[in-house]
Formats: sequence, C-alpha cells, structure tokens
Amino acid sequence: MKILVCIKQVPQKDAPLKLNESGTWIREDVSYEVNEPDAYALKEALRQKEKHGGEVVAITAGPARAQHVEDPGFVGLDAFNTARAFAAAIKDEKFDLIFTGLQSDDYGFAQTGVILAELLGWPHATIIMQIEKSDGGIKVKRELEAGYFQFVEVPLPAVLTIQSGINKLRYATLIGIKQAKNKPLRKVTLAEVQAAMSANLQKIERMYIPHKTKKTEYLEGSASEIAKKLVDKLRNEIRVL
Amino acid sequence: MLTFRKQPEDIQRPQMPADVVIVGGGPAGMACALRLSQLIDEHNAKNSDSQLSKENIYVLEKAREIGQHCLSGALLDPRSMRELLPGFEKEAPIDAPVSKEAVYFLTEKSKLKFPITPPPLRDHGNYVISLNRFVKWLGGKVEEAGVTVFTGFAGSELLYSEDSGAPSVAARLRVTGVRTDDKGLDKHNQPKSNFEPGYELQAKITILAEGTRGSLTKQLIKKFDLMKDCNPQTYGQGVKELWEVPSGRIAPGEVIYTMGWPLTSREYGGAWIYGSNNNVVSLGFVTGLDYPDPRLDPQHALQEIKKHPLVAQLLDGGKMIRYGAKSLPYGGWWAIPPLAGNGWMIIGDSAGILNSQRLKGIHLAIKSGMLAAETAFESLKNDDFSAASLGSFQKRVENSWIKEELWKVRNFHQAFEHGFWRGMLHAGVQQFTGGRGLRNRYPAIPGYARMKKLSELPRDGGPEAHLIGPAKGDGKLTFDKLTDLYHSGTKHEEDQPAHLIIHDTNICESRCIREYGSPCQNFCPANVYEMLDDPAAPNGKRISLNPSNCVHCKACDIHDPYQIITWVPPEGGGGPNYDGM
Repeated sequence: MKILVCIKQVPQKDAPLKLNESGTWIREDVSYEVNEPDAYALKEALRQKEKHGGEVVAITAGPARAQHVEDPGFVGLDAFNTARAFAAAIKDEKFDLIFTGLQSDDYGFAQTGVILAELLGWPHATIIMQIEKSDGGIKVKRELEAGYFQFVEVPLPAVLTIQSGINKLRYATLIGIKQAKNKPLRKVTLAEVQAAMSANLQKIERMYIPHKTKKTEYLEGSASEIAKKLVDKLRNEIRVL
Repeated sequence: MLTFRKQPEDIQRPQMPADVVIVGGGPAGMACALRLSQLIDEHNAKNSDSQLSKENIYVLEKAREIGQHCLSGALLDPRSMRELLPGFEKEAPIDAPVSKEAVYFLTEKSKLKFPITPPPLRDHGNYVISLNRFVKWLGGKVEEAGVTVFTGFAGSELLYSEDSGAPSVAARLRVTGVRTDDKGLDKHNQPKSNFEPGYELQAKITILAEGTRGSLTKQLIKKFDLMKDCNPQTYGQGVKELWEVPSGRIAPGEVIYTMGWPLTSREYGGAWIYGSNNNVVSLGFVTGLDYPDPRLDPQHALQEIKKHPLVAQLLDGGKMIRYGAKSLPYGGWWAIPPLAGNGWMIIGDSAGILNSQRLKGIHLAIKSGMLAAETAFESLKNDDFSAASLGSFQKRVENSWIKEELWKVRNFHQAFEHGFWRGMLHAGVQQFTGGRGLRNRYPAIPGYARMKKLSELPRDGGPEAHLIGPAKGDGKLTFDKLTDLYHSGTKHEEDQPAHLIIHDTNICESRCIREYGSPCQNFCPANVYEMLDDPAAPNGKRISLNPSNCVHCKACDIHDPYQIITWVPPEGGGGPNYDGM
C-alpha cells in the first residue's frame, strides 16, 4: 500500500501568541510543532505499512521550515488552495490512500482532506478511529457524537482524515532522526502547481483575544425556589444541563 | 506514594558511536559545535589526504526546540561572538545596543540614583538580546554547518570505562559517552507500550554544556571529587517576566539596575530592567541563594519590586507576556572545578564560568565553548582523548581573557557574605587592588548552609516580613506563582515518574517541616513542591510533587538545606517554552 500523509506545522500549543500589526494573524516569532492530528495520521500510515508493506510519503506546504511544497507563496493558503496545490503536486504518483489529520490546531478548517478527495474524484471518510484492510478496500471506524461509532466500507483509493488518539504515538529515536536526514526529498516550487491554484476564497478579516467577563447574579427565595431557578438557568440560559 | 525516576533494569539499549557529544544546546554548547565545525572545515580544505568528519558530532538538547530552555536578561558582551563569527551583528537577532544606563539604590518608597554608573555595570558596547532567539539563530548555524542537533533528548547518565591498572580514580576512569533519557516510562517507572530506552552514545569526547548545576556535571564532580580544592559554588536565582508596555516608557537599549529594597542588607541581589524592541521590557530579579530566612521566596521578591514606584510606573497599563526562572552560578574563579579529564570537558555555566560582578556569562560561555572546540579538534587530529590531551583545555582557559576577566573579580561574591554594606565597602577595596582585597583567596560557604532555622528567626519575618510566604498578586501588576507559571509555557508528559528525586522523604516530613518550614515550597518558582494535609504524617503534612510544573531552574537541587534533592532530566522534550525570553 502506498500512503500519502499531509502534515503541517502549527505554533506550539503553549507558544505566547501575539497578534500581528494588521490583526489578521499571529506574529510568527514562535516555535512550531507538528500538528497533533497529523502526527497520529503519520503514525497510522507507518503502522499500516508495517502490516501490509508499501511506502509512506509525507507532503507539506509552507515556508522554508517545511520540506516539500516549499515557497513563501504557500503560506496562508486556504483549505481549497492547499488541496489544489497538493493535488497538482502528486498528480504523477499513484497512491492507494491519503491521510490527513482531522484538522489543524491553528486554522482548524477540517476541510483540506475532504476537498482534496473531491478534486481527485476519490471517496473520503472523516474522523477515523480504526482502519482494517477488507476484500474490496478498507473498513474504517468513524467517531460520531456521544460515544457512537460508524463502520464504513470504503473502496480504494481514498482519503481519510484521522482523529487524534487512533494509535499511541511513538517517540523518535536518535538513529531515526539521523537517518531522516538522508531520506529522498522532492521540493515542489510554486510555479509547478500555480496553474491549479487561484486567489484564496477564504480570508481572515480580524482576529482578537476574547475579553474575559464575569457576571455574578444572586438568586433569591426559599431553598426550593432557588434550586428551581438555578436548574432553569443552567438548562435554558447556560445550557449545561 | 511518590515514585522517582530511575533506570529500568535489564533492558537492551541501542548504541551509537560518536566522536564528540556536546550535552546541552545553549550558548556554550552551540558555540563549541560551531567552532569545531569551522576548525574541521579549515583542516579539510588544507588536508585533502586526512579528512575529518562532522558526521559523528552531536549536540543533545533536552528542550523540544533549540533555545527553548534558554533564559537570561540578557545583555550580550560581543567579544567572543566577534571572534566566533566576525560581523555577526549584521545577521544575529539583536534587539538594541545599550543606549542608556542607570543604577539605583531603592528604599521602599524612594530611589537614589548612583551619580555615576559603577564601572563593572557600564554596558555601552553591549547588546540587549533575547537569549532564546539568539541561541535559536546560533543553533541554526550549527545545523547548517552539518552538525546534528538532537532536540528533545537529555543526557541522563555518564558512561565510564575503567582501566584497573591506573594509580588514581581520575586516571582509572574514562568518560566514554552519555546515556540519553528513557522515554515512555509511566508514573510508576514501568515501560508503556511506546517505551523507547535511552541510547548509549559512545563518545570519544563528552563535553558538558548543561548550564547551571548540570545533572551530569554533578555526577562527574561527585565521582571524581572535582570540587575538593575549590570554594563551593554559590548561586543566585533569577526570576524573570517579560512585559509589553505602552510606548514611550523605556527606550530600546535602556538598562536599569537596582539594589536595596525589597531585599534587606542581609540578602544579596537586585533587579535588572532592559528595554527591548516593540515596547517589550525584560524585568528580572536575582536573589542570592544564600539568604538566612527559609521563608523567603524569590518569585515573591520579583512581585515586591514591581510595587516600587520606579517599576510600577514603567509597567502601568502594560501586560505580562512571559515568565521564567533559572539559577546562575556566581562563585567565580575559585569555584571553578578542573575543566577536563579522561574523555571529558566542562564548559559555560556548568563549570561556573560567569562574571558575577558584571552579571554576565553568555560571552564567557561562548568563549569557553570555543576553547573546548579547539581542544577537541586537536585531540581528534591526534586521536588522543586522554586527560593529558584534553587537559590542555584548562591551559587554554587560563591563557585566555576568560581568566583575565574572572581573576579581577575572584573575590567579589565572597565580599557580600557578611551583608550588603560590608560587601560594598569590600568590593570597593577590591576595585583598587585588582580583585585581591586584603587576601588573595577568600573562602566561601555554600548558600544552603547559611539558612537559619525557624527557631532562630522572628516569627513574623521581621525586616523580611514583606518577602516571606507566597505572593498574592493583584492580577495586573503582581501575580501569584501559578499565574506566573502559566506564562512559562511549561509542559511535560504527565504520565512519567517524578524527576525531582528526594532521597529521604522522612526528612521532609519529620525534620524539615519543623526546622525550616519546608522551604522547597518557597524557593521553587514553579509550585513543584507542596506540603499537603495528611493526618497520618508525623507533623500533619506530607510532601507532594507536581513535577509537570518544573521550569528546570535547579534551585531545589542547589538550595535544599539537607541536600537530599537531585534534579534529573525528565522525559526529553518536556520543560518550559521560553520563546522570546
């Protein structure tokens, strides 16, 4: 099985975020890490490869920090254009599966994988918790709300967006890190894929840090009346019951 | 029940050969790696028949990213960087050259400006930097040069080999490398399903660049009794906040030092205030870890000084954006252990190479790294890693401006052991006698030994009353410890054994609580140590640890009065995130 994994870097969760001058994104002078759901996707791809053989290729888009689709022009793309760039970059390769993380920790679109499937004309399934090979393709377990799961058969090739927690992440080893330096690396320029792309369809107008507010309200009456009012508020105003 | 980190027994460890392993990717370690790479490049360009490889030179860094555990003021004296990378100013992340400086002596409500800045605190020609950003940049250079930096890997044990025929321990034992941290141990020290044992990196040369109170350095010092002819190392605890203030409050490059309040004449320390770019202010407070009252809290001292009009006016309307803490060694020249032996060298803060009078160590750390690199290069060329070969590092340091600079201030910190006023007088005498004072070498005693028992101290704290116990914080100008800690970006894998090893918790619960009132709760800047109510404990409280809070400052290892705490590295990748610090 040949599997492509789409990964991206995001600011570390505990990075001190400051807004840029125009208030449309953060200042980039923070440390980055692999987007967590993508790490699970990569680990899952490696597990599938261990079981069924094949090859795992990773693709990413962004500035010099990243490796594959490398150009400042790839920074700040919306999900649609990222998917179009990826589709164009891999058009000469034959993959059986494409994994993405469910969503990124920074933009949180949860769209790139789904759009990529659409562009390729492949089926997709989201929020994947388990993957098994079946006769005609694969059988996957999707996480639904409230503890429910859905099992779906999917023909190959397909795109899957992987939920965090699908597996137990491994630690990188010294030898693995050292060998990674010698893995083949293909850099895709903006020019190669630009024809497939357009101006962003989505744009961040304004970002701001939410103001913390606190409101104190006294409920009055007898104990049972107060309890009644409290339940009413929790149920109908705050909606936690 | 506390479970402390220890090596699992009977496990197969992967091994990897190395020429040079540098433990710690701070300014000393990175400068060492870069200088070594330069020397090898020069050599290879001239000697096509005897090429040296950089393939097996490694830097281990316990932080997730290069520079993330680096915390300093920071002012950079550019002397060593100009030697390492002439013209570095053009590309290095420098915030501003020092433009203006002042020193104040504070009382609670007023300030007295020193009419002239004392010569050691004159900083024209130095640069205000973020050490985190600077080391990130320097580390990038190291990686570009082809040296592998392993981030997220700590050195947890030294490896030795023994030559039984040799006459002394130091000659018999050879350091043969480093074992990296075990990853994937659970709270009870049991391997999880993703357990990865630490590697044995078998190195011809091991260079310890771990920063203050390095954990491997501590092992090495103990094994070879390296401090036997030295003064004990003394330390300060630096606690820092980064602030964003309304524009116009302080110029980039403006430098302010304070002495006096909130400390009394019985404690050593003071504040620094550096103006950086974009209205960012670096505010820090160093408290000498040799104060008498165990209830004193260095994080509290930082909160107190912010209430002084001088600082409060500067910060008013601003926002605290980052917090961190780190200890620093200021024992000076007499507290530096032997720097090299069979297979090993010690550099930077691990060796105590810091000028405590000027409060500067980055330039000296860099220089010591460069000299260690020159030594390592010669040893690699001659294929000789013995104490005789690596021992030339000692001479290189003694013949360099490191000694020249440190010799002049060799008795500086000792002068303050009898309080601030006598210290100022003594430091003045030293200024005129080339650092000598009345004797060539003044002894020192370790700071923890100066801690007094509660029974010898006024119950209400006396003159130190405003510094004892936890700071409350108003949430705007001053903060309690947990609020500050949140701003350090500290993160660890929660399910792992405690990396703060208390060798005898009975002492905590039966003696320390009564004699010193559990000072670990006070000197730890990150609420790692807590005494929790427990009717079953002898004094009604038991010791509890929050290792995930640890900001790797090492104060507990240094300052616990019974010396029963050993800081060992947690799972690599854990710790603070000092982005921008």
